Amino acid sequence: MDDRELISEFVVESREHLADIENQLLAIEAAGANADVGLVNTVFRAIHSIKGAAGFLGLSTVGQLAHDLENVLNLVRNFQLVPDAAVTDILLRSADKLRSMLDDIDHSNEADIAEYVNSLQAIVAGMVAEDAHAGSPASAPSDTPTVAGAGEGYHAGASEWEPTITAAPQCDPVVQTASAGLPGDNVRPLATSCPSQTPAAGPPQNTEVPRGSAATSAAPAAGAIAESNVRVSVNVLDRLMNLAGELVLSRNQLMQTIASSDHVALGTVAARVNQVTSELQETIMQTRLQPIGAIFGRFPRVVRDLSNALGKSCQLIIEGQEVELDKSIIEAVGDPLTHLIRNAVDHGIESAEARANCGKPVVGTVTLRAFHQAGKVNIQISDDGRGMDIARIKEKAVAKGLLSPDQAHDMSDREALQLIFRPGFSMAERVTEVSGRGVGMDVVKTNIERLGGTVTIDTQLGAGSTIHVRLPLTLAIIPSLIVRCAGRRYALPQSSIRELVRVKASDAAARIERIKRAEVFRLRGDLLPIIRLNAALDLDTANEAESALNIIVVEAGHLRYGLVVDGLCDSEEIVVKPLGRHMKGCSCLAGATILGDGNVALILDITGIAAHCQLFIPEEATSTEDTADESTSDRYDLLLFRNHPLEQFAVSMDMVARLERVRVDQIDSVGGKQILQYRGGVLPLLSLEDYIGCKPRDEMAKVYVVVFPAARREVGLIVPELIDIRSVTAEIDTTTFREPGISGSLVQDDKTVRLVDLQELTHNAHPEWYASMTPPALADNRAHRVLIAEDSDFFRKQLCNFLETEGYDVVGCEDGAVAWQVLQDPHNKFDLVVTDIEMPNMDGLELTRNIRSEPRLVDLPVVAVTSLAGEEDVRRGKQVGVNEYHIKLDRDQLVSTVARFVTSSVRPVCAGRTR
Amino acid sequence: MNSAVTAAPKTRSDYVEIASFYLGDVLLGLPIDQVEEMNHHFNLTPVPQAPQCVRGVMNLRGNVVTVIDLRVILGLEPTVITRQTCNVVVSSRDEQIGILTDRVGDVVRTRWSSIEPPPANVVGSDGRYFRGVCRLDHELLILLDVEQLLAAEASAR
Repeated sequence: MDDRELISEFVVESREHLADIENQLLAIEAAGANADVGLVNTVFRAIHSIKGAAGFLGLSTVGQLAHDLENVLNLVRNFQLVPDAAVTDILLRSADKLRSMLDDIDHSNEADIAEYVNSLQAIVAGMVAEDAHAGSPASAPSDTPTVAGAGEGYHAGASEWEPTITAAPQCDPVVQTASAGLPGDNVRPLATSCPSQTPAAGPPQNTEVPRGSAATSAAPAAGAIAESNVRVSVNVLDRLMNLAGELVLSRNQLMQTIASSDHVALGTVAARVNQVTSELQETIMQTRLQPIGAIFGRFPRVVRDLSNALGKSCQLIIEGQEVELDKSIIEAVGDPLTHLIRNAVDHGIESAEARANCGKPVVGTVTLRAFHQAGKVNIQISDDGRGMDIARIKEKAVAKGLLSPDQAHDMSDREALQLIFRPGFSMAERVTEVSGRGVGMDVVKTNIERLGGTVTIDTQLGAGSTIHVRLPLTLAIIPSLIVRCAGRRYALPQSSIRELVRVKASDAAARIERIKRAEVFRLRGDLLPIIRLNAALDLDTANEAESALNIIVVEAGHLRYGLVVDGLCDSEEIVVKPLGRHMKGCSCLAGATILGDGNVALILDITGIAAHCQLFIPEEATSTEDTADESTSDRYDLLLFRNHPLEQFAVSMDMVARLERVRVDQIDSVGGKQILQYRGGVLPLLSLEDYIGCKPRDEMAKVYVVVFPAARREVGLIVPELIDIRSVTAEIDTTTFREPGISGSLVQDDKTVRLVDLQELTHNAHPEWYASMTPPALADNRAHRVLIAEDSDFFRKQLCNFLETEGYDVVGCEDGAVAWQVLQDPHNKFDLVVTDIEMPNMDGLELTRNIRSEPRLVDLPVVAVTSLAGEEDVRRGKQVGVNEYHIKLDRDQLVSTVARFVTSSVRPVCAGRTR
Repeated sequence: MNSAVTAAPKTRSDYVEIASFYLGDVLLGLPIDQVEEMNHHFNLTPVPQAPQCVRGVMNLRGNVVTVIDLRVILGLEPTVITRQTCNVVVSSRDEQIGILTDRVGDVVRTRWSSIEPPPANVVGSDGRYFRGVCRLDHELLILLDVEQLLAAEASAR
């Protein structure tokens, strides 16, 4: 091994030693006189190792600084020195300097560390002189050599300096304006003092941290984080080894199969290679996943330094440090997060007196949370400070000429908050070093969006603000939809896509309207803004005004709109390649990829396109949303169809797995039952007229088949004519047309539509399937009992059906109050409660609260099934003790959740248990 | 022990090899250590909203490489792509970028000392793109400053 390799290894190891030193020093400072000796020793040993290795490699300056740091740490670990803010600052800054020297190790010997050495030596000298001045009997022999040792500086191979053993005065050490801590100097007479002594000039150590240094001290720490190494768990490496082995085997098989021209086996072998490659790819990506704690770790220092600089009192709470992200994203998101945290401390948290006046605790709290949700990594930065004044934001925007007063007036709160992200916009009254120049937030937003993420703000005046950052898990490979526009292909990331809609040319005129200058599209009652991709990209439009429209409903953060493209191609997993520096200004593009045929396809940036087109969100859209939420009638997504031209039926879309179209001659009849050869197996078919009172279907050549799951298999319902799929809020009549297989009826377009209950229908057709199904096995051989609280008859019936089909014993109650009465009876034992939220007499939240306050029932799992599942609702639910939230109505998810809770509850619900 | 931490001084040999290419009748060139390759691949995908000088992007062995039009940077009419058009791929700041030129030339070997500062009236454009001029047997070769060329349009929109 040559010198260069040794030095590289030294740098890597030293960085590891220094990795946690910031937080360790902060912890030591916080502990004060009750310092954790183990912790101090850890820090001491880290510095000691660095010193030793540096000496061996001739890195004299690094060694010198480490030596002086070691001296101070020694005092601490011998309880001779309790590090206060001033001392900790010096220690932190010295550690920063060490790090920066490690970053530029080749020039480290030329680095100027005089300032740090002086400060460190002054601390040590101050301690010893303190003893001398206070008159306490210092052990004389070791006194002079002690100080001389400190002043001697560092020699390669010097033995460790031993401290004096004297009682440590509790007064803060003096920070002296040392003129020079040079070799050979003896003790200089020092003035004793306590806390704030302000030296005249010289090295910049005051007990009050000057503004400038707060900003700069954070910066070196920030820069040093980027490493070119990565820590990988041994498990992941083992898996990689295995997969590599599998790949070799599959490859060998492939070569053999090709050589022997065995076409039949080729398919199997190719499938195997495909599978191993996917697993390999996934596992390799995992090696790049690092816990976000790596960058979160630097924030306590940032908050501390900034709070001190601004004279505020703030604490930082961190959650979710173990959440993992791709390394490249972690590196890139560090700076934006730092800025947001500084903003929270600077703008968000008020001064101590202002907080006291409002009745808030004097210490402001900034919370940093990371968690996974909806396939993305979410990072929330919340503060309990003053919140943002939307009225003032609008005023400022009008004053800066960003908006007209009318626009400001029409603007919704949410849009107004987005103004903060405009370049040059700042709400600060004065420009400080920390913030106020208005350069920050737009850069934050741009950087986060460049990573494929989004930023949104929530705020409450007087209570605080929360900034919500959402990031993709990994940059490199994403599933996407390839679309065509103006003769070229573009890639659209799957994560942005909500829905695909095709509008027939004849319907286009009816469903697309213009509001103010923008086109909007009516989608199931809501208004969706439309952007035509060729217009957004300024491409030539071969104006096929008469053909069908392909609309892709896309979503990014709070933004939702329809993107019109010429045509759709395949779904593909694409490798994201960055676009060159010349394309930095292409806001509509997020990168490029190479398609299978070798051509380049550009990747669309949904947020960028919206911004470029200055997306107008019609007010009506938001207001219909609000009213829909407030109404108590539920929405049902129904598939409407006709069995016979004169009779209309519907099934709930939640039940439908798939729609197929088949020729009537493909339907076989076996043992009196109809079946279809389907996907390599046999699909049992049902005709409506066989089980309910209705007219039979006419002769036709082709029919639709609605495929749905029942009794743990798939079944198809023959549907001659499809009408539409609609979201309806009509009342469902559950009495008039009741019969087995029909659960109710409603009126659509002046026609009566009967609702088909697919479960009941299947049960009637094939009772033998249900009889053979055994309910989940149990410890005490009783069926699991589930209580359902739901005021809508229709939904309650559906829920009861689902769960009874799975073998549970189900009791349905039409209101929370009824459910509560049932639960209170100690003879009624239940394993799980499924509840709606909106109910007339006692809602789901109250019911849960009651359950949780009853000792006998406190552990009863509660699953909420509701159409209200916004973040606020989920939070409120979790607060009162709801275990999980489900949106109406995903049958499979609900069934698996119920099974999970029921089988995992080890303790049976029993009466009279005390806690 | 100290050799590990001090950098070795760099010496420049007096000779330089220049990859040359034609823009019309004018001979231009770049030091060969800046040039990755010269090819005739023009399967370009145009990039909407990109600066004028960007003709598009192409697939170069799995990398998405920007291709810019030298004529447009120098303020001339866009290059008409013919069979002789040459794509000079340069490497700059960890990125590969292709530059469209009319015709490939030879590799010229000359001394740094024989390269003079450029006259002001060459090809009717700003002098900042040109590092120097070199007299060859039959013609003049103009040495380009690649970073200036690439930077020019990257900032202007």
